[in-house]
Amino acid sequence: MNGGIMGTWRRQAALLAATGLLLGATSCGDDDGDPAGDGTSAATDPAATGPAATSEAEATQGEAPAEGEGITLAVNPWTGSAVNSHVAKVVLESELGTSVELVDIDENATWPGLDAGDLDAVLEVWPSGHAEDYATYVEEKGSVIDLGLLGPTAKIGWYVPTFVVEQHPELATWEGFKDPELAGLFATAETGSDGQFLMGDPSYVSYDEQIIANLDLPLQFVVAGSEAALITAIQQAVADETPVLLNFWQPHWLQSQVDLTEVDLPEVTDACLESAAAEDGSYECDYPVDELYKAANAGLEEKNPSAFEFLQKFQLTIEQQNEIAAMVDAEKMEAADAAAQWVEANPDVVAAWLT
Amino acid sequence: MAIAAVAVGTPAVASDRSVRWRRLVIPTVVVATICVVGAWIGDGVPTWLDARVRPWSDEVYDWTVQNNGDHWLFTRVFEPIADTLTATNDAVLWALRHLRWPGVLTLVALIGWRTGGARAAIVGMLAMAGCGVLGFWDETMVTIALMLVAVIVALLIGIPLGILAGRSDRAERWLRGVLDTAQVMPAFVYFLPVVVAFGIRVPAAAIATVVYATPPAIRLTSHGLRSVPVVATEVGNSFGCTSRQLLAKVQLPMARRAMLLGLNQVIMMAFAIVVLASMLGVAGLGGRVLSGLQRVQVGQAFAPGLAIVFAAVALDRITTGERAKRGDRVRRRMPAFARGRAHIATIVTVGLVVAVAIIAAGAGADDFPSAFTIDITEPINDAVRWVNDNFRTGVPVVGGTGSFSDFLTLHVLNPVRDLLVDSPWWAVVAASFAIGWASAGWRLAALCGACFVGIAALRTWELAMDTLSQVLVIIAVSVLLAVPIGICVGRSNRAERLLRPLLDAAQVMPAFVYLVPVIFLFNIGRVPGIVASVIYALPPCIRLVSLGLRQVPIAPREAAISFGATPRQELVKVQLPMAARAIMLGINQTILMVLSMVVIAALIGAGGLGLETVYGLTKSEIGRGVAGGVSIVLLAVVLDRVTQSWGTHPRRT
Repeated sequence: MNGGIMGTWRRQAALLAATGLLLGATSCGDDDGDPAGDGTSAATDPAATGPAATSEAEATQGEAPAEGEGITLAVNPWTGSAVNSHVAKVVLESELGTSVELVDIDENATWPGLDAGDLDAVLEVWPSGHAEDYATYVEEKGSVIDLGLLGPTAKIGWYVPTFVVEQHPELATWEGFKDPELAGLFATAETGSDGQFLMGDPSYVSYDEQIIANLDLPLQFVVAGSEAALITAIQQAVADETPVLLNFWQPHWLQSQVDLTEVDLPEVTDACLESAAAEDGSYECDYPVDELYKAANAGLEEKNPSAFEFLQKFQLTIEQQNEIAAMVDAEKMEAADAAAQWVEANPDVVAAWLT
Repeated sequence: MAIAAVAVGTPAVASDRSVRWRRLVIPTVVVATICVVGAWIGDGVPTWLDARVRPWSDEVYDWTVQNNGDHWLFTRVFEPIADTLTATNDAVLWALRHLRWPGVLTLVALIGWRTGGARAAIVGMLAMAGCGVLGFWDETMVTIALMLVAVIVALLIGIPLGILAGRSDRAERWLRGVLDTAQVMPAFVYFLPVVVAFGIRVPAAAIATVVYATPPAIRLTSHGLRSVPVVATEVGNSFGCTSRQLLAKVQLPMARRAMLLGLNQVIMMAFAIVVLASMLGVAGLGGRVLSGLQRVQVGQAFAPGLAIVFAAVALDRITTGERAKRGDRVRRRMPAFARGRAHIATIVTVGLVVAVAIIAAGAGADDFPSAFTIDITEPINDAVRWVNDNFRTGVPVVGGTGSFSDFLTLHVLNPVRDLLVDSPWWAVVAASFAIGWASAGWRLAALCGACFVGIAALRTWELAMDTLSQVLVIIAVSVLLAVPIGICVGRSNRAERLLRPLLDAAQVMPAFVYLVPVIFLFNIGRVPGIVASVIYALPPCIRLVSLGLRQVPIAPREAAISFGATPRQELVKVQLPMAARAIMLGINQTILMVLSMVVIAALIGAGGLGLETVYGLTKSEIGRGVAGGVSIVLLAVVLDRVTQSWGTHPRRT
């Protein structure tokens, strides 16, 4: 019996190791040989060393830029987030000589990343979804700092496809849904006689259950479970011309493809906002406007002051963001190319960030 | 049922009364007591029955968040682990990238040749090249680097623990609960804690993968050791082997096949979690799947999903080549290189691979040549559109997937759910106790009862009943589909050859890929989750049914034929009864797979416990996720143990 299983593995492990060693020997100094130096290469990853140790981890970096240390920016899984980070990357690299690594990451995992310094900054945070994170990391622990507003505002609300409002104009406001017959248009096998109210990703902010209960609407709250599921439901409803009512928001790429109308909810009042803060379950008004903001690891200012200052000043209007997002979504450009093209075409906007 | 059978079937002898007393009266009394006490407490779960898991987990998590970076646990334990994982991953990725695509393909082919001969070499190399053809070469390398790190760690942990479990019954018992938890606990529950403890990207992703992928290594190593024939160990003992020698020279070599199967399952499990790992900042193939899903573009998610399947198949074929499956018979037919001595083969392999890599570098073959790539995005999107247009409505007789979905919701899912949710909680506890007793006696009964009381104490009762109703329906549907398909596959080699790649693909293809079309066809709600779970859980069930049929010895079958049995009689009266254990094992595997899909199903509207764990992904609700996750584990334990007892203790009739 030649070796058995342990032998096989030992052989294979040895083989792999030997390959690596030999390669190391043969391709030393061939530093530009990294065929795809994106994302995960070793040198640029400060990895889990915490803010204090980051500087030494980065000091060994081979391709250190002329000014300031390289930084990492988070890219959360939506186009707006990718657009911001790519534009910032283009400017940081060309104007400030700071190399930027972009990390695709879930928005909830972003905060522990900022906390530990594995990520230096995130350029688009939707405040409504991260009040807890803000309280913990920014206010309590102080490991993450608020970098100011990004510019665009967002708005969550109740939406129906526009054809629904055209057929039943009463449904343009919440009062229309008091009528069980009209609400019943939204019924499904899951909800029986009540209308279905769809919510997407459960980690997004939602007062819908409270609004439905407090306004006494004959609707049933159903969690679709993910944004993709929500979008599919909209597309399906539009394709079939069946009514659907859901929690959705602006800006979103789907808004340019599908004709949606926001349902009027009772106006936002101070009492309403207080009930949201108190979490007493008595919320019964529209969603407040979300002002998107930026956040950074608290050590960034020390680590790379010029990049820190730039990111503080970095702002995009909603029109600018939409313009670049459309290049990505509609024209199918890579986000990096779209950002580079836009930066080149808008030198005065860029100049304002650098003064 | 078993109780009745025992009561009717026992012969009237002197001990009859005491047997009946033990088998029937005691459980009846216990069940009656549970009912009486329960009715006295009330039909709803009482408020004092609260394990306070949610506040407790929230506190632990808060402590972690406040202390990471300072406390010795993080600086001395977690950070070094994280740094080692990152460094290993980066080294592997560096090597893969510097080998360039010709070097990697050569390496795959040579390892395949060595382990499984020409066939494994060709299949492995083609599958790996397929990743490049789909246009995802570098993403594949990123994913494979992470997988290799996770698999190495899983084996480093799994084999020693497996040996421990194989040699000690007590260790086996203790580990079993841990393994079930690791396999069924939804990754969302520990995502954020792992991220906080180890940092984002490689460490967090590798650890989440290891948690999920290690159990098969432990299980199959232990199984392999335990199936070593007693004769072999006794021969070893009689020649004066020390315990250590016995292990190294007799047991481990003889357990080799089971351990290789374990390696194979580790790889499959690791690939099953690729997409989730990409949420933690390791891009790779999983990231591509997610971005396709984000845009609700099936084709854009399917192409990288297919690359995941190819990569998994490549690693599978070269690690568990034909030689492992067929033994040394194949070895004789293998080329001289593959039969040769280990160190020579290693040197030849390394030399060749490096030579190819250097030539490739000289020729400037940095990226996979774009002339070879094929974009399958649009054809897939067209196909999905066609299915959506033609199957959703207007199918003769059944009406279409939409109305099928409504039917299933109204006439199957709702009644089952109502039954479970509306029953008093103590009635469910009592029923599970009775089922446990009937299946395997008081130990199992106590376990079942305790698990359901535990679910009540986690304050997730209604959600758990909702999930349980869905899981029962999924299991029923899977078994109804798997048994006939398994019988076909088990009786026809052609059907097996045809189905095998499909089964491989269904098991490894990330469920995220088919979520969107499934919602489109079946409408948001519980049904799409059920369909997705059935797709995922069907392969192991079909495999085990077919394996069971194939393992029926030829002698009884020939006996049946010589007695004039028709093929149908042979199947129903000989093969199926003799394959019953394998079929039960298949159902058992199905249950574990279904429960691991509960979370994915929640992402498309199934609600229930799965949704709780998705809530747990957000910082503020971590305890909610833990309570939901533990409830899923408890449900899994009950269903697993009960079906396992059906497989191992044939009922007395």
